[in-house]
Amino acid sequence: MNHIVPENQLRNAPAVTPVTLEIVKGALRSAQAEMERLLQRTAMSPVIREKQDYFCGLFDRDGRLLIGTKLPILGNILAPILEEFPIETMREGDVYWYDDPYLSKGGVSHTPDQVFVSPIFVDGKIAGFTHSWAHFLDIGGMRSGSTTPDATEIFHEGILIPPVRLYREGVLNEDLFRTFLRNSRLPEMSKGDVRAMMAAVELGRRRMIELFDRFGVEGAHIAFDQLIRQTRDYARAQMHEIFKPGEYRFAELIDTDGHGTGPIAIRMTLTATKDRIEIDCTETDDQTRGPINFIMHPSCVQMMFGIYAVAGHPEFMFNEGLLSIIDEVKLREGSVIQPRFPASLGQRSVTLSRVTSACLGLINVASPDRAMGSSSAYSANKLRGTWAGSGEAFLKTMAIAAGQGARPNSDGPDAIYYLNQQNYPVEFAEQNYPLVVKRYAVNPDSGGPGRWRGGCGVIREFEMRSETASISLRMSNVDFPAYGVAGGMSGRSGQFIINPGRPDERVLPSLQDGVVLRTGDVLRIAMPGGGGFGHPFDREPERVLADVLGGFVSPESARDEYGVILDVASETVDLEATKAHRAAHRWQTKLLHRRDYFDPDQWWDHADSVTHAKHARS
Amino acid sequence: MTQMVSIAVDTGGTFTDVTLVDRRTGALHKAKTPSTPEDPSIGFVNGVRQILTEAGVAPSDVSHVFHGTTVATNTILEMNGAECALLTTTGFRHVLEIGRHDIPRADNVYSWVKPKRPVAPQRIYEIDGRMNFEGEELEPLAEDAVRRAAAEIRSRGIKAIAICYIHSYANPAHEQRTREIIAEEFPDALISLSSDVLPTFREFERSMVTLLNSYVMPKVSRYVANLEQRIASDEISGRLLLMKSSGGVTGVETIRRQPVHTALSGPAAGVVGASLVGRLTGEDKLISFDVGGTSADIALINGHDPDITMEGNIGDWPLSLPMIDIHTIGAGGGSIARVSNGSLVVGPMSAGAMPGPVCYGRGGTEPTVTDAHVVLGHLPPHLLKGSMALDLDAAAKAIERQVARPLGLSIQDAASGIIEIANNNMVGAIRVVSVERGHDPADFALVPFGGAGPLHSGFLTRLLGMKGSIVAPEAGVLSSLGLLWSDLKNDFSMTSILRPPSYDLEKLTAVFAQLNADAIAWLDAENVPAAGRKIEWSVGMRYIHQGFELSVPWPAQAVNEGALRAAIEGFHAAHHQLYTFSQPEMPVEIVLIRVNATGQLAKPRTQTVAAGTAIEEARSGAQKVYAGGQWLNCPIYDRTRLGAGATIDGPAIVEQLDATTYLLPGQRAVVDVHGNLFIREQV
Repeated sequence: MNHIVPENQLRNAPAVTPVTLEIVKGALRSAQAEMERLLQRTAMSPVIREKQDYFCGLFDRDGRLLIGTKLPILGNILAPILEEFPIETMREGDVYWYDDPYLSKGGVSHTPDQVFVSPIFVDGKIAGFTHSWAHFLDIGGMRSGSTTPDATEIFHEGILIPPVRLYREGVLNEDLFRTFLRNSRLPEMSKGDVRAMMAAVELGRRRMIELFDRFGVEGAHIAFDQLIRQTRDYARAQMHEIFKPGEYRFAELIDTDGHGTGPIAIRMTLTATKDRIEIDCTETDDQTRGPINFIMHPSCVQMMFGIYAVAGHPEFMFNEGLLSIIDEVKLREGSVIQPRFPASLGQRSVTLSRVTSACLGLINVASPDRAMGSSSAYSANKLRGTWAGSGEAFLKTMAIAAGQGARPNSDGPDAIYYLNQQNYPVEFAEQNYPLVVKRYAVNPDSGGPGRWRGGCGVIREFEMRSETASISLRMSNVDFPAYGVAGGMSGRSGQFIINPGRPDERVLPSLQDGVVLRTGDVLRIAMPGGGGFGHPFDREPERVLADVLGGFVSPESARDEYGVILDVASETVDLEATKAHRAAHRWQTKLLHRRDYFDPDQWWDHADSVTHAKHARS
Repeated sequence: MTQMVSIAVDTGGTFTDVTLVDRRTGALHKAKTPSTPEDPSIGFVNGVRQILTEAGVAPSDVSHVFHGTTVATNTILEMNGAECALLTTTGFRHVLEIGRHDIPRADNVYSWVKPKRPVAPQRIYEIDGRMNFEGEELEPLAEDAVRRAAAEIRSRGIKAIAICYIHSYANPAHEQRTREIIAEEFPDALISLSSDVLPTFREFERSMVTLLNSYVMPKVSRYVANLEQRIASDEISGRLLLMKSSGGVTGVETIRRQPVHTALSGPAAGVVGASLVGRLTGEDKLISFDVGGTSADIALINGHDPDITMEGNIGDWPLSLPMIDIHTIGAGGGSIARVSNGSLVVGPMSAGAMPGPVCYGRGGTEPTVTDAHVVLGHLPPHLLKGSMALDLDAAAKAIERQVARPLGLSIQDAASGIIEIANNNMVGAIRVVSVERGHDPADFALVPFGGAGPLHSGFLTRLLGMKGSIVAPEAGVLSSLGLLWSDLKNDFSMTSILRPPSYDLEKLTAVFAQLNADAIAWLDAENVPAAGRKIEWSVGMRYIHQGFELSVPWPAQAVNEGALRAAIEGFHAAHHQLYTFSQPEMPVEIVLIRVNATGQLAKPRTQTVAAGTAIEEARSGAQKVYAGGQWLNCPIYDRTRLGAGATIDGPAIVEQLDATTYLLPGQRAVVDVHGNLFIREQV
């Protein structure tokens, strides 16, 4: 069958048939799925195999992204390698590698993320690239696990790998690899993880070659062009739908850098004309001494909007097309989202999650009818210690789920860490570490009240059983909980509490390392929730009842915040009393809510007032 | 008197297929009756009566009634199971709500909605008492709390109760005591223990399986009771055996306690049918490919038995029980083709049995895969031997309206596109069970069945470079044939983490001994004679630090250093085969210990067909097919008139009562002595 349609009425570029296009799409998707499955099943560190902190992707011969991840954390994966190693110097069997956030200009944004890239050759010419990306458990640095809230320069955060060539024509650079392993506290795991990532990259190469065999390199690239155009055209149209010509601004706040600075504001101003969108982030506050700096490649902002633009439309690929939906992203060097070398970056997720929230804020301000509540960020902690008896060291990473923001037509999901990152089962944790998990539950009332409720965070509470242990703590949305929209209220803050209910109970800081836990100490991690959508009095009483019975909302909150009068024992709502109560107590709302309602201008000014507007405005 | 007749009943969405074999004569009878979804036992007994009459066999001559059922499957997929309660360890009431705290990789954070759990948190009761992972009691069971929970559950009129405590796989004592107490307080309760259903670690998955067991239990129990009653009232003798997801059958006693094992009963029967085709033809590398109206079920058979997985899913839920590694996709004859934002999408939405494809003339208006086949000439104008006419015009108009015009294609190119996309989805699914599991499809033959399987197989074998396809004479009812050939099977397993260098061989010996004793007790209960018994030991192994184990045969039924070394070698080899590398320098640990028990049942005699190579005598018509951009002449043959040795070159259509086979230009079919069509590329 002839796959090329020569006379395409709409465009001058050659095109493949819609059928071929779907087949290429399916082939790219299944190649990625296969690569990721292989990586997950063979990797050694629990970060990859249980938590699943890894991604794989494919590029075309010009380095354009064909299929990527639905996370806005990656910059341009390939560019740093092409800058160091021009395409014409590459050979079949080469594998390139880096983890340096500065030299990669945010290709990765903290050091534990390792990137491996392999060129794909057909008939001696480069036809594409394949990559794998994963978070390694330890690559050296000042504390085990490599990233720590204590770090104040990147040299504290493990070995920096500039873009290098690990394999030349299939031959491993042993010296380089041994040097890397020597810098890890867990070399065995690092070695196993590298092998798994290599196998994934190689599988991607084989699958792409099969695709090229079938459609030819040229034919496949015509399809790639079309897939990128499809995504870009749709996403750009969505952006102009959301952002009618005008200027929109939004500020979002970060609690602290853990070293005495905070709050810190991210300020974005979006200017839209009929055919151009520009985002100016230069008014964002300065970089910090603590490691919350986020070296943000402009493509991260593109991806944040891109994910939103194609939500609910799985027919569009996550490809290069999403990286040109904003015409310009202006950043200021020295700001917390464009730090200067050698600022520490290990806790960048704190800032990343607030940048995402700020982008959503711009959408909310521009198109209140499609507003969404903000999501709280996950908590990532590291527990370090030695086993009683053997004295052997252990390192456990802890990933704790928060609540997601409510949407205009559904509740925010409860208990979500992030896309595709799974928890450590309690039974796994107890098999491998000296602790007992006492409670793993939904944190009631943490979800922001609304017509649609914000998702609830979780509570995870455990008791130490080893002689000595210390933990690094990180939680966001403590001082500034996730905002609610369109009348919906903000989520509730989270907190770390040691020994709750005992005389020595105390609340711990939200970003700190070296917190000592002794045998018998109990740590409760109570996570924040997502923001709500719409007036809580508009929520169906039956839903509120189900939330109360299920432990998501307390009876007090049901009455005070939702205006629903119910009886838990009989599992019934008093509809008449609810109606009367709601009529008598209904309050006025504004677009945004964080402990109080704000309209967009008040919101911007409020951020200034709490950060004391550190630098002059032009 | 020896009973020599076996009956198999496979209940599908539209039809109930029944086969009967009389082992005295070797005669095989087939029948199809409409399914009765409101009470499938009616369709079941109708089919049994019909076939007994047709075969002229007395009900008292029946020795076994084999059955593949979709009662549990549909209950879970349609979320209409029993109201349940779950007892869990204090602190874990939200174990199901939290799940694995992720958004699936393929979904979008801004649009994904968390699926509703089969039980609400207010019906989950927290009970004090705690074990550690080595099975030591840290805190005693709060028996009062169990009594209070039982009383409350009873007062709410809930009968189905699941119990899943933290680390119960290591020590089931608290769960067992809880069952005793509930039985005292609430004798009518239907109780599932996680330590019975799935004694392995990972609390979310184990809680979910146990709960699903309770969720389907009342319906399956009622259904099984109905079957038994109907069989008894028809004076049919013989034992009722149900197909499990793992591809073995078991008596109703086991199914009453663990109905969740029938979650994939129907599809499993089909795979067993496909492995039977392998046994008859001597081919031992096969891919089973069952295409119905809404979905395609695909499984790999390497050797004589299908691959078994412990990591399956059903609907939105993980189902970590031994099951045939069946990959299901929403691509079938009824899959709807539509254009969405300029993309041509086929399935997973389906026109189902009602209204069905446009060409069936039952009110369907959305073009389907079957409509595309009709337009391209892959199907004869009448199905089921003339009893059902196909409306070609209506099919063509629907494709023109919904697909061809929006995309600017001709009708036949649009129809070809629909088939190509459906084929491509199927290719992806075949890859999942083959290349993703480390097998090259080039070494495998496809066994297509179900109404639409043999329409697609020619395309798929060509796209994947497979050896060819084998279309059994019973392609339309292969699942029920598989039932007739099935064995009794049961698995006994336990999580137990044994690490180098010692591996605690004493513990390993004790666990194997216990599991082996359980297996023998089950074989005794099923009355399996000594000659028909097979017991196999295996272990789940992984490299230290890895999170997924591979199942490796234990080379003997004894525990010693030599056997351990051989198993470790087997693990390295399996890891290399599956994942392209192994790490011999890396320590290996045992995480799961398993004993599989099989009870072999008497098998029917195999059928043969007479020789006959004059294919002109089998020719029943001709029509045009659209292939490679042109219309070609295409003969139609009657399957029942093809003798052994007959050779047909494509393009050609081979029609039979319950399935249609399409040979592409350039392909050749040869009929073997069992009547199988072996289709390969002409060289």
